[in-house]
Amino acid sequence: MFDRRFVENFDWWLLLSMLAIMVIGFINLNSASAAAGYSFQWKQLQWYVIGMAGMIIVLLMDYRILTVYSVYIYLATIMSLILVLFLGKSVGGSQRWLSLGFINLQPSELAKLSMVIVLSSYFYHDDRPQYGLLDLWRPFILIIIPVLLIYLQPDLGTALLLVAIFASLVYIARIKWTAVLTVLGAIMAVLPLGWKLLQSYQKRRIETFLNPESDPFGAGYHVLQSKIAVGSGQLMGKGYMAGTQAHLNFLPEVHTDFAFSVWTEEWGFIGAMVLLGVYFFILARGLMIAQQSKERFGTFLAFGITAMIFWQVVVNVGMVTGLMPVVGIPLPLISYGGSSVMTTLIGLGLLLNIRTRRFIFQGGPTSKGIGLS
Amino acid sequence: MKLGTKIALRLKKFDQEDLEINRHLCKGAALFVLACFIIFSGRLWYLQVVKGAYFRARSERNRIKYVRIQAPRGKILDRSGRLLAGIEPSFNVCIVRKDITDPEELIIKLSSLLKIPQAVIRARLFESVDQPEYMPVVVLRGADWNAVSRVEAHLFELPGVSVEVSPGRKYPHGSIAPQLLGYLGEVSLEEIRKRRYPKAMPGDLVGKCGVEARFESELSGLRGQKRLEVDAMGRLVGVVDERAPVPGQDIYLTIDLDLQQAAERALSGKVGAVVAIDPNTGAILAMASSPKFDPKAFARGLSRKEWARLNDKVKRPLQNKTIQDRYAPGSTFKIIMAAAALQEHVVDPSTRFFCSGRFRLGRRVFRCWDWRGHGQTNLYKALVESCDIYFYNVGLRLGIDKIVKYARAFGLGEKTGIDLPGESPGLVPTRQWKLSRFKEPWQKGETLNTSIGQGFTLVTPLQMARMMAAVANNGTLYRPFYLDKIVGTGGTGRKIGKPTVQGTLPVNKRNLGLIKRALVGVVEDKKGTGRMCRINGIIVAGKTGTAQVIKQAKRRQSEKMAWKFKDHAWFIAYAPADRPQLAVAVLIEHGGHGGSVAAPVAKAVFERWFQILSPRPLLRPEKMAGLDMERHV
Repeated sequence: MFDRRFVENFDWWLLLSMLAIMVIGFINLNSASAAAGYSFQWKQLQWYVIGMAGMIIVLLMDYRILTVYSVYIYLATIMSLILVLFLGKSVGGSQRWLSLGFINLQPSELAKLSMVIVLSSYFYHDDRPQYGLLDLWRPFILIIIPVLLIYLQPDLGTALLLVAIFASLVYIARIKWTAVLTVLGAIMAVLPLGWKLLQSYQKRRIETFLNPESDPFGAGYHVLQSKIAVGSGQLMGKGYMAGTQAHLNFLPEVHTDFAFSVWTEEWGFIGAMVLLGVYFFILARGLMIAQQSKERFGTFLAFGITAMIFWQVVVNVGMVTGLMPVVGIPLPLISYGGSSVMTTLIGLGLLLNIRTRRFIFQGGPTSKGIGLS
Repeated sequence: MKLGTKIALRLKKFDQEDLEINRHLCKGAALFVLACFIIFSGRLWYLQVVKGAYFRARSERNRIKYVRIQAPRGKILDRSGRLLAGIEPSFNVCIVRKDITDPEELIIKLSSLLKIPQAVIRARLFESVDQPEYMPVVVLRGADWNAVSRVEAHLFELPGVSVEVSPGRKYPHGSIAPQLLGYLGEVSLEEIRKRRYPKAMPGDLVGKCGVEARFESELSGLRGQKRLEVDAMGRLVGVVDERAPVPGQDIYLTIDLDLQQAAERALSGKVGAVVAIDPNTGAILAMASSPKFDPKAFARGLSRKEWARLNDKVKRPLQNKTIQDRYAPGSTFKIIMAAAALQEHVVDPSTRFFCSGRFRLGRRVFRCWDWRGHGQTNLYKALVESCDIYFYNVGLRLGIDKIVKYARAFGLGEKTGIDLPGESPGLVPTRQWKLSRFKEPWQKGETLNTSIGQGFTLVTPLQMARMMAAVANNGTLYRPFYLDKIVGTGGTGRKIGKPTVQGTLPVNKRNLGLIKRALVGVVEDKKGTGRMCRINGIIVAGKTGTAQVIKQAKRRQSEKMAWKFKDHAWFIAYAPADRPQLAVAVLIEHGGHGGSVAAPVAKAVFERWFQILSPRPLLRPEKMAGLDMERHV
């Protein structure tokens, strides 16, 4: 098992940038915890350790084995999502947590990664050169079940995130352009209907996203306060632990959804650029791994995991900077949350795994690389 | 499973074409990621650098709350430094309109917590619509402790509501001389517009009348300001900085608390006024009007019922009756008549007139108050027994012009110049006045009425007290004053109360002596009308007066008359007669005879005063030096 090539092919840069984000996450949570009045940073540290242990376990096995187990992974995901609807702990109006006695798990978080694995496995097995719209009905069934279950919690953000992951995988599995245009047209047509199906709080969030100043003390409050936090950080930030928006409770959810606001308020534009830079590096590495993999499953899996991280960053940063409506999506490794940390670290473990096991196919056609790293 | 694993590990490799397509797809994805990150960077640049200063300012505003600190109002003290009006913390329940989320819900909750009608809260909020939204609107002033704790316990569900502490008035001895001290009330928007109180802001308490209003700028001090760091819930995190308020200056009055209390006690249950002056300086030692009112009620806000009671047209509790109300002087005017008669030589001390109880002038008959008549009457007897017929004769001999001249010289018909707003000058009727007022010439009968203090003449109790003080001090007319000194924060005082001479009575010493002897007789003699003011150990000089409210012809026995038709009772006096230290004027509205109703009030005031001066009872001198002449006709 411990081949020399294993060490040679290991992506130390990816590991290093992941550790960098975890360090930033811990430092930032230290400040956010002081503001929130509860020591989240130490619990998060525990999750980092547990997640890294999971990562090592994932690294030790061959990722290709997942193509066999993906059915069980899928069934377990659906089961847990059904369970959480009936037995889940209700926090803030939605039922997201499943209590395992010693820890609370968030199945919808884990579903992000498991659906990446399941869909990658499906597309690998299906093995078509290109997909038309009608060819996608089976994977569509696969994804729509967890999406609906998560939507029922209700957790619109995560449900939409799964849709985004699905779209990303369809992209890498090569969808026809005609299919893309058809879907876009259908979405435009269905949009007004969907508006009616949204919960009132969701509607209000979207409305206030479109015009946050209209209701500064109501639903627009979070967006506005977050923009004030980010903007008031200016170039250099207000200084560590000195973010007034966070520490004087003007910001909501400083330890989870708005952790990035805390970071930018205290470290300014420069701090924000450093963090985004590291994320970009990780995503670029992820895409490179997807491209360099010499078989379909590795490519799909690496691309899906990268997409999973990417969409979370986009939605979260978009939200706190007022570019997107407020939906509860964590910033990977920065926001507090055990399930999210586990999901991200195991996902990164899989990325490292795919990269490391490139050598299995060495001797095949050489790749030119896409010049991202 | 083992077989499955083996199959799984034998994955299909890409061919060259597939790899090429993958490369393109990943490159496309990478460009998309890059585009997103460029957008984010641009957005962050816009928020943090382009609009950074704006958001920094907004975050500052988010956490800094300006709180004004009311300056402690200056105290009002009596002449020996006893507190008449102090300060104590008062709790105001306020609403900052900017922070209200649901006004209707808030009004309902607040109404039940404070136990005040919703309409009141709504009205308070409505009144302040012109004010900036961040200005706290006082909903309930001077809330009691129970209401405050109920509100404090529910603050978290009452966004916008706060309880502020402001210095309120404390009256350690209860309501003392409220008409003189005045009261505090919330400044009205009209008053702010007219800049009557230049330093006041909406919601502030300002002095509305009396001393509180006259010395508003001295008493109010300078407001301070505190900058507080607050969190999103409005909870206090810390104090950024603070500019301390400058406390108001203390006002020391010449009023003596004990004497004032004695005067008010003597007046209780009656409608009337008492003024006590130091005859040697003009300093006012007591100034009481009855009925009193509770000055605290104004700061709290008045109910319609309370307001109606305060504006009672008959009893007029808000009126400072000693300076703002005018009454006919009645027989107290005979002092002036006597002085004029002696000084103008129309009579001498031995001149007698016969009193049969009736006096005929043309076709009209004028009566003496004592229908039985006083018989042969000289000046002494006329003053002691207050014979009207004697003074009808004197009046006819003097004529109205001379009477006017002396009345003016005794300080009637013009303001005393006391430093209070709303003083009435009273009225001394002249021929010209009659002509312009009624378009009729002066009648002789009117001269008769004027001679006994009825008719058109009107005086204030303060004018009568000052007149009596001038008689007591042998002829010097002092301006009455009530302000002793103003003491600022550092204890540096400004002495302000100094005697000011306004004039001299045009009566020589011998004539004044004759009158003064008669005034002693009023109290001391068996037939004196003011015997009710006799005090053991002190010789009091005084003059009674009974001012008719309705015409003589309609009069019946006064005891049987309705209260509002009864005469006003006067008693003006000074004591001790040989070395006067206190001059008092008492007026009881609709009291009946001055001797029986007003004199006992004066007696109570004198007794208290001499008790204050010398706690041991004073001995009555065996012989009254120089006061033994002309007891009998």
